Amino acid sequence: MTFAGWTLPELLPLLAIGGAAITGLYLLRMRRREVEVPFAALWEQVSRESESRRLWRRLRRVLSWLLQVAILGLLCLALGDPQPSASLRPTQTLAIVLDRSASMAAVADPQTQTTRLDAAIAVARSELARMGAIDRALVIAAGEEVDVLTPLTADAALAIEAVERTEATYGEADLRRAIALARHALGDREGARILVLSDGALSPTAQSALQTCRGGPLPCELRKVGGPTDNAAITAFAARRPPHQLDRVEVLAEVRNFGDTPTTVELEIEADGVSVGRRRLELGPGQARREILSDLDAARAQLVARIEPVAEAGPGTGIALDDTAYAVIAPLRPLEVTLVTDGTNLFLEAALLAQGEHLRLAAVSIDDARREPQRAELQDADLVIFDPGAQPLPTDIPATHRVFFDPWRHPAGPCPIPKRADVSRPYLTEQLREHPILENVVLKDVNIARGTTLSSAPGDTALVRSLGEPIVVLREGQHIDIAFGFDPRQSDLALRTAFPLLVDNVLRFVEQRTPGFVASAPLGQSQELSLADLGLDPTGVTRVEVVPPSAPATDPAPGTPVERGRIRLRALVPGVYRIVATDGPNAGASVEVAVNQADPYASDLHARVEGDEARPEAPVVETEARAPWFRGPLWTVVAILVAVVLALEWATYHRRITV
Amino acid sequence: MTETETRFDEAFLKRLELLAVVARRLFRGRQRAERKTRKVGSGLEFADHREYSPGDDIRYLDWTVWVRLRHALIRLFEEDEDLPIRIVVDVSDSMLTRGRTKLRYAQQVAAALAYVGLANLDRVGMTCMSGRLHTTLPAVRGKGRIFRVFEFLRTANVGGPTDIRQGCSRVAAQSAQPGLTVVLSDFYDLQGAFEGLNLLRFRRHEPIAIQVLDPVESDPSRSGLRGDVRLVDCEGGQGRDVTLSPATLRAYHEAHERFCQKLEQSCRSRGIAYVRANTDVEFDELVLRLFRMGGILR
Repeated sequence: MTFAGWTLPELLPLLAIGGAAITGLYLLRMRRREVEVPFAALWEQVSRESESRRLWRRLRRVLSWLLQVAILGLLCLALGDPQPSASLRPTQTLAIVLDRSASMAAVADPQTQTTRLDAAIAVARSELARMGAIDRALVIAAGEEVDVLTPLTADAALAIEAVERTEATYGEADLRRAIALARHALGDREGARILVLSDGALSPTAQSALQTCRGGPLPCELRKVGGPTDNAAITAFAARRPPHQLDRVEVLAEVRNFGDTPTTVELEIEADGVSVGRRRLELGPGQARREILSDLDAARAQLVARIEPVAEAGPGTGIALDDTAYAVIAPLRPLEVTLVTDGTNLFLEAALLAQGEHLRLAAVSIDDARREPQRAELQDADLVIFDPGAQPLPTDIPATHRVFFDPWRHPAGPCPIPKRADVSRPYLTEQLREHPILENVVLKDVNIARGTTLSSAPGDTALVRSLGEPIVVLREGQHIDIAFGFDPRQSDLALRTAFPLLVDNVLRFVEQRTPGFVASAPLGQSQELSLADLGLDPTGVTRVEVVPPSAPATDPAPGTPVERGRIRLRALVPGVYRIVATDGPNAGASVEVAVNQADPYASDLHARVEGDEARPEAPVVETEARAPWFRGPLWTVVAILVAVVLALEWATYHRRITV
Repeated sequence: MTETETRFDEAFLKRLELLAVVARRLFRGRQRAERKTRKVGSGLEFADHREYSPGDDIRYLDWTVWVRLRHALIRLFEEDEDLPIRIVVDVSDSMLTRGRTKLRYAQQVAAALAYVGLANLDRVGMTCMSGRLHTTLPAVRGKGRIFRVFEFLRTANVGGPTDIRQGCSRVAAQSAQPGLTVVLSDFYDLQGAFEGLNLLRFRRHEPIAIQVLDPVESDPSRSGLRGDVRLVDCEGGQGRDVTLSPATLRAYHEAHERFCQKLEQSCRSRGIAYVRANTDVEFDELVLRLFRMGGILR
């Protein structure tokens, strides 16, 4: 028997001092309470009769003293924490970091259908079952959130019970925080080590954290659990209403095969549980396909995309957590168009004004644009149309989509598409009829007084040519640039029906390049969202209530502050979140935002770090349902409680408080 | 005694006037009153004849006998006299415990008995008794003297050790004429309780023992007293360390009961009237009902 807690030299003085104090208190002559009686003679007669019981009273007093000393001895014993010598070895303090990211939900063994998390739990259980009486363990679950399943404890059964309740969650494992927490919790404890149980399918941040942990002062070990890596996931999903077809819905979905074998999945789009679109996708290993399903008929603003395996082909879709994605159709934002003009092209202005409400037109004079190139109308516009007429273009042009009419009338100009040559009375001889900009537009026989041919670079599209030389060029890069090498004022194009069609096609082409799809908020990250982008006027709104998809209607959620019209949202469950304004003139108004996992690292089941493979054949020692009472701190607590109660009894009885 | 006076309201006094102290023996009084005595005198009720002696009032000569038998006999009549009543109140320290409950109770009973006697034209005297010397109220007569009784009880010195024998002996010595002697005490005197009463009887008094008891003192378990205590006699003396367990308290209660029963048996065996008066019984109920049941009043 060895004392694992306080040592004998520490305990003996405590026992001696405590024993002496108890004995001294017992030897103290107690001052009895004096009671006046009218018939003391009779009392004396009665008490004389009970003299025979005095011996027992003395014995009882001795027994009480012995009891107090015994309690003191037990307390000292509790502090000493006696353990069988055979079970003593250097103390181990183990911090288990259990990865419970989405990838841990993948099947580890197809035969038993156990998941990677089950395998990790088995390893954790085995480690915990090997704990000695003096060992301590800490279990941390790392998902998007980091949870301490059990604090440092010697109760292996309690820790195992907590570990077995763990379930895989959406998103990635935040190993950086989990490992930092484990390191802080272990501190300088004797025999401290960190055991990370993961499938190794980690994000770069988690890999870096693991690498740092391995190089740290504490022993850090990664025990990997593996299994099949086939998985298909929806990695992007968004929806919008086309500006020209507000009753239809257009969705963008990206499905990726993370596995090593080809697979075929069925992509299905649902609105209110009703399928509105379906497409079968054949995906090669590692292939991602971005599909746009246009012309969907959906009245509601919420859409759900699901992929399902096609039974006879491929290995399936792997983990189910990434097979569903959500999208919310945001209200259509009007296209911001700024026209930089000298004010003489009424045909162009009329064509623009005829676009209706989905276009917001602003006009800036050439002089103003030259003088104030940073003005908001130019910088914030989705499209700037430069129609300078006889004047030269402003030297500074905004970094956005741009359309230039006759940019090279003057020798120098900022147009990114260079000039090739001046042409007198150019003929428009060739045009790309299949291009959307020229859809339903016929430029044949257009009379033009003068113009310039343009020099196209690789990647540019010569929409219209004049005797083989490009005269209308489209350049698509980060922005769209369209240059017309002639002035509509110096042609009869403005008088033709083709001109407003051409303008409309240009606007539609730009609109489709404008990010009208509202990207869903990613899971786990703290994402800043603009209420205006979501369709909620932020004027006067200081707080909003974020209602998660699984919350009951009556569940009060804490208010989220609004700063400069933006909120920060950190969602842990995918779905459609409702954001309700709680104050301001729009109090009660709500908008919705979709949250999707959409994290390739969470869906990719390939291990990206090196580590020891967990041995599935590792013997798992079955532990008792509860730890024996003498192994935990319970008996110490009970002993202290007994001591307190006895001390209370002693003080109250002998000090005549309770008599 | 202010409390006593306030409790002697008009209605209660009227009821007391209907009562009379019962004496089992005939005592010789001093003044004419309503009680029969052995004295033959000027009463109305014929008692006996005796030989005529010269000087006898010839109005009492029984002429009928003279005519028939020529024998001069004098007719004797029973004479109604008053009853000497002496009320002895124990004022020792044992009567002063627990806020003088017993003493107040005894004084109230004494005042009530005194009023009954005074209302019946008896001569009522009052004596305080303890191991010390106390003042005595000489016998007074007439209802109007009840206020002197009140005054005496209010101003009487109290305190001193319990000594029933000495107190009774002093009462017997001070009483020139034997009579009804009511002793109000707790009789907490193991040796002298009965001896004092017997001494009065021996001096041709008719003692009545009224034992005034506090129920909490006779049964200490009612007081909630527990644990290790030092018992100190209220009349002085060394304390005694006692552990008050329920068994001890029960033993005391039983011993107290045995003591009272023994006193009662001793009194009854000598023809001494004995009444136990618990202070939790209203004193007017004691006077109006229990004393009548005990034959002390009628």
